[in-house]
Amino acid sequence: MSKKVCFVSRHKDYVHDAMRSALGLAVENMYAYCTVLGVEVPAFDDYNKENLEWIRDMEGEVYSDMDANVETNEMAKISIEELGQKMREMDVIVPYGIV
Amino acid sequence: MAKSLGIFVTNPNQMRHVMGVTKAAVAKGSKVKVFFSWWGTKLTTTAEFPELCAMENVDVSICADSYKKSGFDVDVVPKGLTKEKMATQAQHGAVIDDYDCYLTL
Amino acid sequence: MKILNVYRSAPDATTKKLVEIVSEGREASSFDLNVDAPDYSNLVDMIFAADQTICWW
Repeated sequence: MSKKVCFVSRHKDYVHDAMRSALGLAVENMYAYCTVLGVEVPAFDDYNKENLEWIRDMEGEVYSDMDANVETNEMAKISIEELGQKMREMDVIVPYGIV
Repeated sequence: MAKSLGIFVTNPNQMRHVMGVTKAAVAKGSKVKVFFSWWGTKLTTTAEFPELCAMENVDVSICADSYKKSGFDVDVVPKGLTKEKMATQAQHGAVIDDYDCYLTL
Repeated sequence: MKILNVYRSAPDATTKKLVEIVSEGREASSFDLNVDAPDYSNLVDMIFAADQTICWW
């Protein structure tokens, strides 16, 4: 059965690579989710826009608790409470990089 | 028989924990795989990295793309590693799928 | 389900909230890596005994 993996980034320098890493697992037939917590991410370039779209195409999602990331980068909104509940469904949780 | 352990490293400040956990797991008879990605690849320059690569029952690999993005020349293989261990995120997939336990550092 | 929460640094309010939700109703234990000399042998035993390990930032 395909595993569910959730990456969580809280530092702006780690967001893009967490998405790339999530996509890497999606192509390995895992359900890969990415969450950006508490940091505002500048508008994605085409490469990162494509990565987000690929993650969605492969039944994953990129979430954020920040309205700015929802508006600028079309991430899906999630609250801390909702993320905690989502984490309970995950086989693997990856607090990514540093805070 | 001891469980196997996969370790995914993205934090560039965790080498003492990578070494400590790996040595402890190997001492218990465990097989360990360590995959360094993103700024975790900066740990390839530490004195402990070749020691980690040389440990028995330890498989070490790095993300070549991360290594390049962290400012390194992909044609320069880190001491202790071999070229074929400079790989892709599929190695993270192997850490998750092929090992009993998972730890991120 | 046995869950092990490992801390690389002192958990802030966000981490504490996530740990609370993830651990609710489960058999949860914790290990602090943010000390001078962690007992790695004990940590490995705890990892092997857990169904899931989350190593928070």
